[in-house]
Amino acid sequence: MTLELAIAIIVTVVGASTPILIAALGELVVEKSGVLNLGVEGMMLVGAITGFVVVFTTGNHYLAILLAAGAGVATSMIFGFLTLSLSANQTATGLALTIFGTGFSALAGQGYSARPVTLLGPLFPSELATHPIWRVLFGYSALVYFSFAMVLAVWWFLKKTRAGLILRAVGENDHSAHSIGYSVVAVRYGAVAFGGAMAGIAGACFPLLLTPQWAERMTAGRGWIAVALVVFASWKPFRLLAGAYLFGLVMTMELYAKAGGGPLSAIPAELWAAMPYLATVVVLVLISIRRDASSNAPACLGRPFLPSN
Amino acid sequence: MMQFRLEKRREPSRFMLYATPVAAVALTMIIGAVIFSVIGYDGIGAVREIFLTPLTNSFKWQDLGVKAAPLIIIGVGLSIAYRANVWNIGAEGQYIMGGLAATWVALASHGAGGWWTLPAMMLAGMAGGAAYGAIPALLKTRLNVNEILTSLMLTYASVQLIYYLVRAPWKDPMGMGFPQTRRFASEALLPNIFPGTIVHAGVPIAIIVALIAWFIMSRSVFGYQMRVVGAAPHAARYGGFSENKTIWLAMLVSGGLAGLAGMLEVAGPFQRMVPGFPTNYGFTAIIVAFLGRLNPLGVIFAGIVMAITFVGGEVAQTTIGLSNSATGVFQAMMLFFLLAGDILVRYRLKRVVPQVEAGA
Amino acid sequence: MPNRLELSGITKQFPGVLANDHVSFAVKPGEIHALLGENGAGKSTLVKMIYGIMQPDGGEIRWNGEPVVVPNPKAARRLGIGMVFQHFSLFEALTVLENIALGMDAKIPSRELEARIREVMQTYGLLLDPHRTVATLSVGERQRIEIVRALLLNPKLLIMDEPTSVLTPQEVDQLFTVLRQLASEGCSILYISHKLHEIKALCDTATILRGGKLVDTCDPKAETSRSMAEKMIGTGLKDIIKPEGRRFGEPKLVVNGLTTRKTGDFDVPVADVSFTVRSGEILGIAGVAGNGQNALLDALSGELKGEEREAISIDGRAIGLMDTTERRRHGLCAVPEERNGHAAVGDFSLSDNSVLTARDRLGMVVLGLINSGAAKTYTGKVIADFAVKALGPAATAGSLSGGNLQKYIMGREILQKPTVLVVSQPTWGVDAGAAAAIHQALVDLATAGSAIVVISQDLDELRALSDTLAVINMGRLSASRPIGDFSVEEIGLLMGGVHGEEAA
Repeated sequence: MTLELAIAIIVTVVGASTPILIAALGELVVEKSGVLNLGVEGMMLVGAITGFVVVFTTGNHYLAILLAAGAGVATSMIFGFLTLSLSANQTATGLALTIFGTGFSALAGQGYSARPVTLLGPLFPSELATHPIWRVLFGYSALVYFSFAMVLAVWWFLKKTRAGLILRAVGENDHSAHSIGYSVVAVRYGAVAFGGAMAGIAGACFPLLLTPQWAERMTAGRGWIAVALVVFASWKPFRLLAGAYLFGLVMTMELYAKAGGGPLSAIPAELWAAMPYLATVVVLVLISIRRDASSNAPACLGRPFLPSN
Repeated sequence: MMQFRLEKRREPSRFMLYATPVAAVALTMIIGAVIFSVIGYDGIGAVREIFLTPLTNSFKWQDLGVKAAPLIIIGVGLSIAYRANVWNIGAEGQYIMGGLAATWVALASHGAGGWWTLPAMMLAGMAGGAAYGAIPALLKTRLNVNEILTSLMLTYASVQLIYYLVRAPWKDPMGMGFPQTRRFASEALLPNIFPGTIVHAGVPIAIIVALIAWFIMSRSVFGYQMRVVGAAPHAARYGGFSENKTIWLAMLVSGGLAGLAGMLEVAGPFQRMVPGFPTNYGFTAIIVAFLGRLNPLGVIFAGIVMAITFVGGEVAQTTIGLSNSATGVFQAMMLFFLLAGDILVRYRLKRVVPQVEAGA
Repeated sequence: MPNRLELSGITKQFPGVLANDHVSFAVKPGEIHALLGENGAGKSTLVKMIYGIMQPDGGEIRWNGEPVVVPNPKAARRLGIGMVFQHFSLFEALTVLENIALGMDAKIPSRELEARIREVMQTYGLLLDPHRTVATLSVGERQRIEIVRALLLNPKLLIMDEPTSVLTPQEVDQLFTVLRQLASEGCSILYISHKLHEIKALCDTATILRGGKLVDTCDPKAETSRSMAEKMIGTGLKDIIKPEGRRFGEPKLVVNGLTTRKTGDFDVPVADVSFTVRSGEILGIAGVAGNGQNALLDALSGELKGEEREAISIDGRAIGLMDTTERRRHGLCAVPEERNGHAAVGDFSLSDNSVLTARDRLGMVVLGLINSGAAKTYTGKVIADFAVKALGPAATAGSLSGGNLQKYIMGREILQKPTVLVVSQPTWGVDAGAAAAIHQALVDLATAGSAIVVISQDLDELRALSDTLAVINMGRLSASRPIGDFSVEEIGLLMGGVHGEEAA
């Protein structure tokens, strides 16, 4: 394998992993607060179409990311209102959110398909990335560095800050947190909004980072993989990083197989396309064989909370 | 200023239980019209075409029946699983596997079929769907792997299996290069029950499935087991019902019914396996199950309502040029309103007179 | 000196219940003031309003003479009110230090907080490792966290809600020492309980509530337990009627070397448990919560899969490998501690709840179909015979009060005429009238020839009800002896894990 090819592979893996990592970090915080939002895929699609439309009309990538985050928050608030204020079933509401996001993005995106935009360029000046080795370090767009920074930020927030402690407490025992005097619902609204912003940005990665156009359902189940990764990572940010890159690698292999990448093409392309999903199942199986995995789950995950007054 | 407060009801309100789905549909029509008008569409026209034209135009009735049938069959299965708190959201994948299994029977018996071909396809369809539902059941009961994620991931994988089969081993050699199987022989195609229409035998089968399911769920120990495991798993164990057995039954029944729907679709409207076979019936049936209050009789009505939006969506596309995807937005809105209304089943809104601040 | 806390005319209305009806009393500085009453008398509601969790509908709270509004617990703590809950508001997956930090309103660097925690622990003899995870601590240790958390704020009033219900007699003594020390330093204590002898031993004043109304404020040392109990319960106390000259028959339930596996992280399994219950006998099993009672009940009922056929037998027939349904068929019925969600399904009608456990013994199932008429008739009989206050067999279990639901559940099992009945905490959270009815029904069932096992944390209940007694500690069961052979001290030592041979 030539150096060029190796670097190309690394760059592709990073690109494929970034949206999953960002979305999963958001969902991790949401779940740590005791809420299971299965609408990640839907929020990502809303973020993707928002990001696309903004960059198509203004050409400003950073504005696109910002508004995609905002659209993600807005979408997540539908979920928040139903599950937190009206204590609706979280599983059903999350599914409804995904159905909504799929339909809404398709509706908003009609007429935009096959219209090209430009990808978000590298963050650092190209002089830094002239040599192939430097490209591995300095050749990415801001979204990639953002995803790494957020791993650290989420870890630090949960582990080291008082707000993070309160968030974990709310996810661990909502009634106790309420009786001590914390507003369970407010904390969870905050977490859900953060998850929405991250999912929106993750969705924007698709038109801004991967394929410079809009296509219906372009997130192709990555939001669901992000949800699975949170379980895989036992709700730990650094394990999430490892898991997201594992999936990035699997998806990159699919791309190379489709491009006629040597020995990989011996296996039917459809099997490669199914690989990320089958890998998710395998990973979930492996993680559950290790017995301690689920014991790290927030105790109140998915349970509706309604304070008695 | 008027203020409201939620107050727990002593008994869940049966009226609200059945009134909220109706209200959800009505609210979707009203608020949908407003929102679509605000964002620049012909809102009232959209609602009229999507919700009313399919009912007023008798030419559309047969479409309704054909679209409602798979939704009802899958929705009945899902309503049983969700009752038991088993979250099978991979019905689309089980539908696909049922369709593929039936296709295999049809192709293998091509030219050698007979009266037994359709029953064999039906069995194969159910077996295929049930087998695909068995994977999440096995993983859930043995390793406690979340069935939501596994059943969904398997759906994505099954779509790829269709692509593979119709592009390679099952490809019609006479198909001029199209990735699809040959058209099934006539004994492998569902008969039409009204000559001159497209209404196939799947439509009465859907109604029969729903009625049988309703009887079983309300009268039998099986139905009781599903309900009690879903309502209180701890109490179910105390009463002698195994949670694992229930998960298996729920996944097999819901998978088997989704597979049956897949068989009916491939042997009915499609007449062959094509890459466009996954039509999202499996996902829409999730809404159908909830809108039908997880009650098989309710599922019949919910299936018809959902079929109306599908047929109406197509109407709106041709008459007022509204994207087909608007249908999905309307369907999701319906589910949102239903979930929002759920709280009124257990709680009532009570007006409270704001108090003057004590000690002020 | 003004009163530390003064309530006047406090009223709180819930749908259908007047939880507090013009309650007025005062707590002096340094006073240990008991709030005494039955379950449902309105004690918890009252202190929740003092602590700001709920708001009164009417009346006034004065703090050091000044009228105050306590909008939330934070405001209560700012005033100097601390509270130790009956159901601890702790987070199992977090450490002691993190738990305490969560209870502090001000942000304190964790090193400084730890130093202050160690200081408070030293002063009051409440020893704990701040870095341990709460899940690994015993119930008594968990309570210490709550107390330390409250004391760190230098409270002027400490509210203790039923603090001893989960402690051994020895732990209760340690707690009382801490409370007396606090009171001598000027901190007032509002002590909620329904245990009369504790109140006589600890408190300076007692306020008695009944049905939301204040009955009396008195000096507990000047009262007898019986006089206070009558004020608390209202109608004269009813004693359990046991027929004279009862004799025990053949062994009905024989448990021999029963051992269970550990199922969850926090469950205590039982190890090598053996006992025999004869026809007509009531065996009481005492113990502090969380010492294997749940595992024992589940292993007897069949909810926990057995591994040895011979470990349990009924009427000489080994049933150790059978599931719940088969065991019921052979005459073993069980009632777990948790009513809603375990012994009954809150969302189901009472009729459907009867199907849950009585379907086989009473022929409610024909060819896989449920005979709902039979279920309804049986439920009607349970409601009538056990005076269950319910709208009828179609009422949901969740709509019943705790006491009525428990009467229904006990009736549902007792009317099946089981050979052996195993019950856990039969009167937990049940009002006195219902408790007396349940006790009498158990005695009557025994008199009719059944063998009964009662697992309870309430020593008074066991002493009144059982013929023989055994004590469970850390999953091990002491030998059973006639109830009269035990002194309270001995039971206390056994509950705390000191066995006869070690004590000797």
